[in-house]
Amino acid sequence: MLPWTGVPPRAWTSALLLIAGVGGLALVVSLVFGNTGVNIATLALLQVAAVLALATFSGNSGIVSFGHSAFMGIGAYVFGVLAMPKGIQASALPNLPLWLQGHQLSLAAALLIVLAVGLVVGILSGFPLARLSTGSAAIGTLAFLIIIHVTLIGARDFTRGSQTFYGVPRLTTVYVAFLAAATFILVARILKETPLGLKLRAARENEVAAAASGVNVRLSRHMGWALSITLSVTVGALYGSFLGAFSPKDFYFDLIFTLIAMLIVGGMLTVSGAVAGTVLLAGVVQILRQAETGIDLGSLHIPGIFGLPQLGMGLALLLTIWRRPLGLMGLREIGPDWPRRKLEPMPPEALHTKPAGAPLKVDQVTMRFGGLVALDNISFAVPPRQVTGLIGPNGAGKTTLINIICGQMKPTAGRIVIGGREMAGEAPHRVAVAGLGRTFQNIRLFDRMSALENVTVAALSKGHDAANARRVALAELARLGLAHRAEDLAGSFAYGDRRRLEIARALALEPRFLLLDEPAAGMNPAETDALIRVLESIRNDHEIGLLVVEHDMRLIMRLSDRMVVLNKGQKIAEGTPQDIRSDPKVIEAYIGTKRARH
Amino acid sequence: MKNFRFAVLAGAIGLAGLTTGAHAEDVTIGLATAQTGGLAYADQPSLAGFKMAVDEINAEGGLGGKYNIVLDIKDTRTDTAATVQAAQELVADGVKVMITPCDADPSIAAGQISQPAQIPTLTFCGTTPTITEAVGDYMFGTYPADNGQAALLADYAAKKGYKNIYILKSPDSAYTLRLPEYFEEVFKKKGGTILGEGTYTMGQQDFAAEVTKIKALSPQPDAIMTAAYEPDFPAFLQQLRGAGVTAPIIGSDGIDSPTITGLGAIANGIVHTTAGSPVAGSKLAAFYDKFKEKTGAAPETVYVATGYEIPYILDAAVKAAGSVDGPALRDALANLKDVEVLTGKVTYAGTNRMPIRDITIVEIQDGKRAPILTAMPDPADVPKP
Repeated sequence: MLPWTGVPPRAWTSALLLIAGVGGLALVVSLVFGNTGVNIATLALLQVAAVLALATFSGNSGIVSFGHSAFMGIGAYVFGVLAMPKGIQASALPNLPLWLQGHQLSLAAALLIVLAVGLVVGILSGFPLARLSTGSAAIGTLAFLIIIHVTLIGARDFTRGSQTFYGVPRLTTVYVAFLAAATFILVARILKETPLGLKLRAARENEVAAAASGVNVRLSRHMGWALSITLSVTVGALYGSFLGAFSPKDFYFDLIFTLIAMLIVGGMLTVSGAVAGTVLLAGVVQILRQAETGIDLGSLHIPGIFGLPQLGMGLALLLTIWRRPLGLMGLREIGPDWPRRKLEPMPPEALHTKPAGAPLKVDQVTMRFGGLVALDNISFAVPPRQVTGLIGPNGAGKTTLINIICGQMKPTAGRIVIGGREMAGEAPHRVAVAGLGRTFQNIRLFDRMSALENVTVAALSKGHDAANARRVALAELARLGLAHRAEDLAGSFAYGDRRRLEIARALALEPRFLLLDEPAAGMNPAETDALIRVLESIRNDHEIGLLVVEHDMRLIMRLSDRMVVLNKGQKIAEGTPQDIRSDPKVIEAYIGTKRARH
Repeated sequence: MKNFRFAVLAGAIGLAGLTTGAHAEDVTIGLATAQTGGLAYADQPSLAGFKMAVDEINAEGGLGGKYNIVLDIKDTRTDTAATVQAAQELVADGVKVMITPCDADPSIAAGQISQPAQIPTLTFCGTTPTITEAVGDYMFGTYPADNGQAALLADYAAKKGYKNIYILKSPDSAYTLRLPEYFEEVFKKKGGTILGEGTYTMGQQDFAAEVTKIKALSPQPDAIMTAAYEPDFPAFLQQLRGAGVTAPIIGSDGIDSPTITGLGAIANGIVHTTAGSPVAGSKLAAFYDKFKEKTGAAPETVYVATGYEIPYILDAAVKAAGSVDGPALRDALANLKDVEVLTGKVTYAGTNRMPIRDITIVEIQDGKRAPILTAMPDPADVPKP
């Protein structure tokens, strides 16, 4: 299967439009301004490529990287050493190891090696990065910036240290720069729609929900980072070849700030934004640069002011943050919704054919936080084809138990068995793939992704290819009555629809069991009734076991086949709703609290 | 293709020359220098002096008495990519001479573009001695090079009787790293000892670790040598004196700025190299007065003077060459000898196009710089770049 299988056709249209736009602009600038224009176009195209390399990771993962400029530096130096003419190399790098001497490679050959180096560097640097949380990852990239900078300065035999590295053949013509920009646009735009892109974006929107939808957040980030760094190292080589002479400081803070400014002005979340921001800022800088030498308007002479380009860039950044926090393009990719291919939902009989098999077992689970016993030797089973209600007053230990079942916490003792497999302490995404779908008390959707994408992310985790995952997703949306809104952003949905979308997403995992955490919270009676109908149909149509945690007694009594009651970390009752209703221990636990309200 | 373009360009310029006839011929000097950003502190005053000299020369009939100078000034924003772009534009515009920023990176990057176009190119005050060799025979320095400064300073230290010297350097720039290393090389050759060395990160502000290390030295060094400049140098100095270390400091031209004299008493006794010092009655002092008369303010740094000198160096070369033709002008520049400028004499003949020129060593006392000596470093002392 090719990596771009199942990418919506309009992504190709929009990538081609962007390439045509960028190429057209470069051509116009080159024709109108001659040699000067060609230079302007070359630099701008390189900047487009550099910003897209950054956007490939930062845009999709939401983690702003400050390290990419330093990785460009690696590319520039590797390229320089490989492509430098023998004579210059002998005088500039007298202590270069023998195996690196005198290669004098062509552009293509050197780029090929740079690409390989980039991949290795990207994979290696991804190991620590992928293990960091979203917040600390950005700081981690800053560490890369500094470490690489210091290393480039320290590796004097290869880089001439802080002294200028010179004699790099200037092979980056406007055609080469355009080819790079076009390739990067295509890669970045298509990646966004591939399984990797969807997973990265899901983790950007909500890391916990992404993991609960079966996304291996760490692996996805690692892959996204490695790809992005490969691109950065490659464009760094071209940038270095454009400069001809540079030193480590040319790949330090100043460069990364320019790239980030371009990305933010255009909009981090879209490829169109990254391109638009770069073109806009490059344009502003070039226009103001012409103006800063002074303008003659007949008798009126406006004296030149140096520093206008920086002023313009600063203003553009300020205006963007103030007026359009999501950047010029916001969430929109340019291009028509064309060619439109009708997506056929997966036929119902193809869905959920997996037998539920053994029940989900909570077996003697104990959880201690220091001296506090949050859960004390809890055991119960969630059988397939039944609804098991889990209730208990505040502080009973429900949330802790859910976290343990879903893999977010490792119990002090005890087992969780799903589909015959021991799952206690496994990562949430493994638990999800093993057969547990879930919803959240405070709904967690991927707000800045379409409803279809939300559900597709989960479907991908079950090993469907991209095209089939989308068909499964559409079928699940249809089941919950949301098919007509498949292309709308999840963030625009009303409360009830958000609940249903979350359930659709959980069902796309084709789970053996479905955990619903207060599904009716905040719903009005009409919405609650609708929800009950949906849940009943799920139970009746499929072999799924439902575990419902709920405060709404009316709903839980009506829905549950069996109920488990927790209080103060202990299981105090288990049985049918009738049994529970009359259990004295349950009544005692609820007196003055829940019972008074219901 | 390239040759064809040059032929057309040359033809066009030739035709333009014919049609203008009796008028003084215009010659364009392109400046790709950093008027904003981190290098502006040096490039701005250099440009102010440069412009003043150009106005004077034009009033006297132009370069070599016959070429009216037209300036094409582009700001490079202290960005190497912007410098490359500016240099490409200037070459395309057919400038006859190019001026590059006070730093090796952009100067070498620009020089690599002007070199194949056979345009003599001069860096404002780039001091890294490798600049000219890195680019080729059309690239010229104008300012005292790092190795020359270091050699003269080491010679001074040795003659002063210093035996043990501590060195503070930063690997962050060629200037802050290599200049102390050149010093070390010469000082050792003259029988001195390097007691130890510390490194710092440019902009680090906190020198507690380095200062503690120096304070713990026994015996204390006779002097501390560094090429640090602001904001690092003042921070280091204050923390050093605050810790009670009294060893004198010898530094380089990076601290030739009003900030250092503004530090008050703790700056007393600092000895450093500079391109020139306006001693009363000197040519340089006369220039400072003239500049003040014209602009209302005296120059704050010597870069104004070194910038002012460049058009006069070019003038001498054009006179010798008789034309502004690239190869002829290059040869004339490379063979200049003892050109009188504000700060002494400048010689290119026999060098690798980083000029041999007078360097002054000054001592700071009570907010003023008093010259100790002005001399050319002994060529035998000057370390290889």
